Amino acid sequence: MVPPGVRPGGSDTIHTHGAKTRLDQFLQHCLNALMLGGTYALLGIGLTLIFGIMRVVNFTHGELYAFGAYCMYALVVPVGMNFFLALLLAMVLGALLGAVIEMLLLGRLRGADIDTTMLVMIGAWIAMQNTEQLIWSGVALTVPNPFPSAPLVVGPLSVSWLRIFVLFTAVGLIFAAYTVVNRTKLGKAMRATFQDRDTAALMGVRIDRMHTATFALGSGLAAASGALLGPVFVVNPTMGDLAAAKAFAIVILGGLGNIAGATIGGFILAFAEELGAGYVSSGYRDAMGFVLIIIILLVKPTGLFAQRERIG
Amino acid sequence: MLKHGSAQVLAAAVFMAIAAPASAQETIKIGVTQPLTGAFAASGNYVTQGAKIAEDEINKAGGVLGKKLQLVVEDNKSNPTEAVSTAEKLITKDKVPVMLGAWSSTLTLAVMPKLEEHGVPMLVETSSSGKITTSGNPFIFRISPTSEMEARAFEPLVKQLGIKKADFLATNNDFGLGASQEFTKMLKAAGVTIGATELMDPKAVDFSAQLAKIKASGGDTVFVTTAVEQITLILRQAKEQQLTARIITTGGSNSPDQLIQQAGSAADESFHLVFFTPWFPEAVKNPALAVSFVKEWNARGYQAGGLTEGFRGWDGITTIVEAIKAAGKAEPAAIQKALWDVKVKGINGDIAFIKQGPAGKESAQNVPSVYLIKIANGKVTRM
Amino acid sequence: MMKYFPQAFLGLLVSVPFWLTDSYMLHILITTGIFIIAAMSLNLLLGYTGQLSLGHVAFFGIGAYGSALTSLGFEITLPGGIPLGVSPKPVWFAMLVGIVAAGFTGWAIGKLAFRVRGAYFVIVSISFAEVVRLVAVNWVELTQGPMALNNIPVLRLGWGSAEVAFLRKPAFYWLVLAVGTVCYIIISRLVSSRAGRAMIALRENEPLAMSVGVDVTRYLVLATIVSAAMAGSAGALYTHYIRIVDPDIFLFVYTVTMVIMVVTGGKGTLAGPIVGGVIFGLIPELLRTMAIKPEVQWIIYGVVMVLVVYFLPMGIVPALRNWRGGQQASSTAAASGPQMEGAGK
Repeated sequence: MVPPGVRPGGSDTIHTHGAKTRLDQFLQHCLNALMLGGTYALLGIGLTLIFGIMRVVNFTHGELYAFGAYCMYALVVPVGMNFFLALLLAMVLGALLGAVIEMLLLGRLRGADIDTTMLVMIGAWIAMQNTEQLIWSGVALTVPNPFPSAPLVVGPLSVSWLRIFVLFTAVGLIFAAYTVVNRTKLGKAMRATFQDRDTAALMGVRIDRMHTATFALGSGLAAASGALLGPVFVVNPTMGDLAAAKAFAIVILGGLGNIAGATIGGFILAFAEELGAGYVSSGYRDAMGFVLIIIILLVKPTGLFAQRERIG
Repeated sequence: MLKHGSAQVLAAAVFMAIAAPASAQETIKIGVTQPLTGAFAASGNYVTQGAKIAEDEINKAGGVLGKKLQLVVEDNKSNPTEAVSTAEKLITKDKVPVMLGAWSSTLTLAVMPKLEEHGVPMLVETSSSGKITTSGNPFIFRISPTSEMEARAFEPLVKQLGIKKADFLATNNDFGLGASQEFTKMLKAAGVTIGATELMDPKAVDFSAQLAKIKASGGDTVFVTTAVEQITLILRQAKEQQLTARIITTGGSNSPDQLIQQAGSAADESFHLVFFTPWFPEAVKNPALAVSFVKEWNARGYQAGGLTEGFRGWDGITTIVEAIKAAGKAEPAAIQKALWDVKVKGINGDIAFIKQGPAGKESAQNVPSVYLIKIANGKVTRM
Repeated sequence: MMKYFPQAFLGLLVSVPFWLTDSYMLHILITTGIFIIAAMSLNLLLGYTGQLSLGHVAFFGIGAYGSALTSLGFEITLPGGIPLGVSPKPVWFAMLVGIVAAGFTGWAIGKLAFRVRGAYFVIVSISFAEVVRLVAVNWVELTQGPMALNNIPVLRLGWGSAEVAFLRKPAFYWLVLAVGTVCYIIISRLVSSRAGRAMIALRENEPLAMSVGVDVTRYLVLATIVSAAMAGSAGALYTHYIRIVDPDIFLFVYTVTMVIMVVTGGKGTLAGPIVGGVIFGLIPELLRTMAIKPEVQWIIYGVVMVLVVYFLPMGIVPALRNWRGGQQASSTAAASGPQMEGAGK
């Protein structure tokens, strides 16, 4: 039982400080949410592509995220590669791994229902996570970064340089992904494949390749977010579970298959968590996303920004 | 689907599983249940490594009661149901007369009814929840400190450090909540104002919201209770947010070596309550033991950051073996009785048990040593 | 001959404690049995109505917490300062409370969640379980949060000298078997009734079922209530067997275990969850006896899952049925296979 006096998440000090402190705290919360939102958005878009377009509940998303982070570690620490080059390579390797998973595991299950593919992905998830533990053991690893360790200070607010870099890179990657899917021939073929397979085939789209390409693109983005966030946080075998949970929340907030929606969903989740923890209760910080999802699905079942009806 | 050959292999495996020989009493077994996979895998493996060092040393010195000591290690997968299964297997299948386990308080609590059902004692090496020794289970022998003991040991330091107002950042489980409750009680009694008590999910990696709130609260000290991975991140993020309050971590799962290595300069000027000080083995009660343990640990190429967990396994096995020697036989009831009277020189300090919990069904609790250390300029310094 | 197979199999199961002296194996059979009951309840939703509920562990956990709290008693203060206290109740009554609580939650969730389908339903169900878990973690006054409810009492039935305490393993094994048998009978009656045919109809083709007048939501909610109550009964059994309950009971891995059991055994078949449950309940034990690293055990487990889906996509029971059908009437074997469920949806 909680003894009187301990109110988890409560605070009896805010009243004793002036309005200035309260405003500073609020601004810092908003700044933090902005930084977090960028990373969440990046986590979400890889999953929304695969989930929304291919209808595959990709349980390996979190492991591809962890794969990106481990690649980053392996390339920067033992190999000694340049940080930015390693980032690029981690993304490419993630996409390649995704392509292999798609061809090896999903290739023979085209047209199977959502729970059959999901089960395969769960099996792959378990196997991948434990392979990571077998190779790296459970000890958390740190990836050094070339940014100054002193934060950028603006008045009462502060933020680390690494996180600014992550935010800008994330936004860049999101734009790139959006352009690929919505503005290129490849993207058009992808969307056509999953909207009307037969017609797309008749029009000369190579269906098998499109499956692999879509999965590889989503995987590359997952690995990219892991490679970016590995240096921000720590790298360990179960890091993917939390990332996957957040990614699912973001995807549903934004609507399946919608990159712009997932981006906004990422920022909404970040603000809800940050302000929820700041002003409601930090114990429920991680519940905020799920509560939001339930409310949104009850009010608008297709998610906030779904372009098409995708029920059924 | 199965080829003929593989079917035979499978059949052989099943047969062996069923007909596993209850090997004759050439060895004395100790059951170990630890989280080797899942969320607590890193810590569970360290404790097991420490236990194995003790096993090898004891066997090199001739074993126990003229027999070879054998640890039967089972993975409880960081999951309470699996913890119960491992206890059931160790006790009924491997017929171990005594156990070591089960790392987290939840895992230990899950195993406890099984100990009562089969009458087998268990030595608890890490769990901190008060409930373990107060719920009337006479088969529990705990060598790790409860949160309350840790808070009491810290009390003299409140004045010395000049703590006026404290905030808490704790992981949202028995470990973190227990510590924040006990330290709150102790600090209030010592006249310290309590500011914010912030919680975090054990898996969370971003604490910016909690830290912003703690910064606004304006205390001079933040007590942090969680495992080393989260502490690393908290130290880094506190620096990013320019939190100036002094950070003190509790609970002993804080591995200062790992913090220095992974948090870098962000770890400077932080304080840590630990139960073993491998940096200056001479500071502990039994320096010779500590020195040789650190030497053996490093010789095996284990992670230096794991020392502060690994010693628990060594102390646990050493204590159990002393009890088996005193009992003169490897039987549960005799070991249980003997454990009450053991006086063991451990790495943490001298191990002996006092009674806790309801009369007639008391559990045993050791009063361990607690040390406060400080990280300064990338080095661990004594307080 | 196959007509009496269920009865003969039940007879075999009843006899197990008489010849199985290995107490550890009996323990494995009990925990496996509890998860088979949960898997059977999931099968009603997943296999018969075609709704993939990945939050099923919430019902299991609510049954466990409901039963544990009623048998231990609790005192809480509701918002507005209203005190609410429950004194400790007998365990059989507590278990009923747990089952009813789970069933009621099933009703509420069914009403809300079936406004969405497919992938959205999957996410709503995961979110629901996660919210319930976080409430169990944070509502410390009621659930003791992560400090866990322990010392949960053992089930006792009868009076005075005729009292049976379900502390010994054989007694508990038979209790699990009895509850499992009742659940099996309820499910088999339900799916062959009018309501059950309506459920299957809407699994196969929802718009068509609606057009011929099937009240979709009503049948889905009915299925959810029955399914949730059964999962709750498994949770209540679990809590009085393991005798500790903490928020880890809502772990996603338990849902995964249930889904694996149903899908590998054969969803939408009565025997499927039992076959899948026996296999995936025993595989970890078989792996444990081989002296290999725990991580490798998990990797094998994951690979076996993938292989089962690969080679037996409909599940083991339908595959066996096909194979037997093929042997009996080899000339018409090709036509007799059931359609892959939900394919092309």
